[in-house]
Order: sequence, then structure tokens, then C-alpha cells
Amino acid sequence: MNYNNVGIVGIPPLAIIQELNRHNITIHDLDTPMIKADMELTTPYLPRVYCAILRTVVLNALHLTLDAIYIDVGPGKCDCALHVATVLEDMFSMPILKTINDDMTGFGTPVSQSRMGLLQKFERITEGVKNAIKPSEPPPACIPTAGFWGVPPRDFSILDLFPDTTHIYGWTRCMENKTPADHELELGYDPDIPTVFYAQSFCAKTALARHLALKHPHGLYLDSDVTAGGSAKAKIQAFLELSGVNF
Amino acid sequence: MLLGDFGTSYSKFLDLSAAGPEPYIISSKELGTEHRVTIATGHNGKRFTDWYVNELTVLARGGEQLIAEDDFVLLDCGSRDIKFIHYLNGRLNDMGWNSECGASMGFTIELLQRYYDLDYHELPLPTRPFSVTCGVLGMSRIFDAVVSGTPDAEAVARFVMGIAINAYRFAGSPTKLYLSGGLCDNPLFVKSLPCEVIPLGRFVLLKGLEAISSQEKK
Repeated sequence: MNYNNVGIVGIPPLAIIQELNRHNITIHDLDTPMIKADMELTTPYLPRVYCAILRTVVLNALHLTLDAIYIDVGPGKCDCALHVATVLEDMFSMPILKTINDDMTGFGTPVSQSRMGLLQKFERITEGVKNAIKPSEPPPACIPTAGFWGVPPRDFSILDLFPDTTHIYGWTRCMENKTPADHELELGYDPDIPTVFYAQSFCAKTALARHLALKHPHGLYLDSDVTAGGSAKAKIQAFLELSGVNF
Repeated sequence: MLLGDFGTSYSKFLDLSAAGPEPYIISSKELGTEHRVTIATGHNGKRFTDWYVNELTVLARGGEQLIAEDDFVLLDCGSRDIKFIHYLNGRLNDMGWNSECGASMGFTIELLQRYYDLDYHELPLPTRPFSVTCGVLGMSRIFDAVVSGTPDAEAVARFVMGIAINAYRFAGSPTKLYLSGGLCDNPLFVKSLPCEVIPLGRFVLLKGLEAISSQEKK
């Protein structure tokens, strides 16, 4: 592998991450906001009304110097990623390497079940996609008082509104487990704790998030786009407070 | 202790330290530094207090005070947004806050009243609504209808009915709806809601703030 800097979209198979780690290649997670630039710069390539995560991918790719992009287009990511891969192929001369991650060997989900600021949990989990080794000292589990189901939001500021004893469910838990296509794991939630079911606006997962929120005895469906507005944050605050969740 | 609900168009106040406290309203355009309060809520509220409580929480607390039922839907229609809470078995079941597609609903209804010089107490209920999702987008339906020969009053009434039905659906299409906010005073809007409607007036959020202040004292 003659690469120095590689971008990843979604979670490529563990074997690829291992290979990149072995060659000390720097991995950039293009799903996360990495540069401060106007999202409007992506409009020549993607519609304005589109998944904010994939718009972020294009924005990052426009600004970073990369040698290749690995983009997962399997059931562990989404159909939109497949189409964005086509767009990226026409945008850049570097290799755009499509992968299908169907890994089913679980790494465990200790961070999702730990007592820690929810934002820090998400940072650890999203950072973890660049590494192929298990963390040496997993944090202990705590008794949950609230739940967050869904994908890592484009705007992490909503995570500050949750207590440290919030457990993570949904695709983010699959991320930590390094089994992004594990649909059974993704469907899991705890019916005994108030849970926010979150999806990015314009993402296919909004259907699942809303469906599970309706099934859950005490669930709130929420979606947000590039940034979470005041009403989205107020919904979370009020939901947790009126559900008797203590901070 | 002064409580304030700082809405987009109007701000409502209640001075609990006054003898026989009565709520009062001022136009939000007239707000100044002298209007700082102990507890505030509402779109404009953070600028006027050190103790801000978000509107959904306050709406729920107000509903708990004013509605003697375990199961209810309370919808608040403001100038800028709409929000609802749904209680089931005395417990929060669902909620919503629409500041985008519910944008400027109350504001637009008031604007149209002035522009066309209408009295909503006199407008008859139209036979059918416009299909509108928000105040801003709905305006063009009115202008199109007027250009096509529909009388101004009828076009506006159909718009108001469309907005009311949209708000009703947003609240989950309940059979009985408790209504809060300035639109409680708009008979055309209230009659346009296709269910039993119990208007609670525009001081529900002040009632919620009062409950929060009492809880804090305990």
C-alpha cells in the first residue's frame, strides 16, 4: 500500500482497517466534521436536501489531501453511500474503493454501556473506527437512566443534554461492536428507560427510528439536519426532564 | 417574583408578589431592559432572565395544572411555532415542536387580518380548506385564489382552516384537543379544528412557570 492519507466513509471491513494500521497509514473519518468550511460548497455535487453526513463526506474530501477513499456501501452503511461513491469517482482522480462490511465478530460494547459524558462516549466510539485493536481497559457498565438510539449525529452538541448514565443503542452500538451490518443489534433498546430515537434528516433510518420510538413505551423520535436547532434541543431537554431523568 | 412568557409577537407577565396577581400582555416590540423577570420561557426569554425554562417543559407543567385528566393532548399555537404535549395515564407519552414547517403560523394569520381588514369573529367557516403546511408557503395559495376570483375573506378563511387542520394533524389528530396560545381568541381557527376543542387561553405557559416556581420553593 503506497498511501499516506486515506479517508474512510462508514466502517470498512476490519481486515482493511488492520491493513491500513499495519502500514501506519493515517485514517481520516470523513463522516465527521473535520474542517470549518461552508456546507454550500457541496451543492455542485450533492443536492442541498440530502443526508448531512454524506454532504460532510464530500466537504471533507474537497479540503483534505487524500491518496484514496474507502467507502462502505454495504448494508452496514446505506444506499446513499453507494451513490455518493459514484459522485466521488467523478470528482477525484484518486482511487475510490467500495467495500461491503459484513463482519459479524463482535468487539463488545463497553463504551455504549458506561458511565461517561454521552459526547465523550460518541467521540471514543467514532474514533475507534480507525483502530483494529480492542481497547485494553474497557470502562465498567453502569445502570442506565436514559437511552440514545441511532447514528452519531452530525451535530454533537445535542449529546451534552443527556446524563452520563445514558446508554447508547442502534447503529452507534453496532459501530463500537465493529459489526455495522448487525441489524439485530441495531434494533435493540431497553423498554424500561426513556429513550431518544435519533436519525439524520433525509436518512433512510428515519423510518426505523420513528417506528421504534412508537413501539417503545417511553420513546421520543428526533431528527436533525446539519445543525440541531433550538426546538430539537428543547425537545430532548423537556423529554428527559418530564420523564423524571435526574442529572 | 415576576414570571415572563416572551413570545415572538406578544409577551405575557405575571407578578406573583402583587396582591391578587393578574397576567398582563405587552407587545414584544416594546420589550426593554426593565422587563427582566425571575423565571422566563418563550422564544425571546433568554435575554430577560437568569433562569430560563424551555417552552415544552413549561407547556407540560401548565397542562398538568389546568387539565384534570390523565390522558390529554395540549396544543400551543404561537406566532412563530406550534408545539404539543400528549399525556397518557398521567405520564408524558409524546411531544412535538415545529418551528420550521409550523413557521409563522399565528403571525401570518394576524398579518392577513390587518392586510385584508378582516374580523375573524365574523368570517364564516369555509366548506373546504387550502392544503397548506406553514404560514409562509400558504400565503401564495391565498394570492392565487384571490387572482382567480375568490373573495379575499373566503380565501383567508380557507387558509386559516388549512393551517388549523395542519396543526391538528401535527398534534396526532386527537378526538379532544386542549388549545393554548393567542389563537384561542380566534373563533374561525378554533371552529376549523376538526375535533372537540377546549381553549385554555394564552396564559398556560405562565401557569406552568407558576408551577415550576412553587416546585422550586418546596
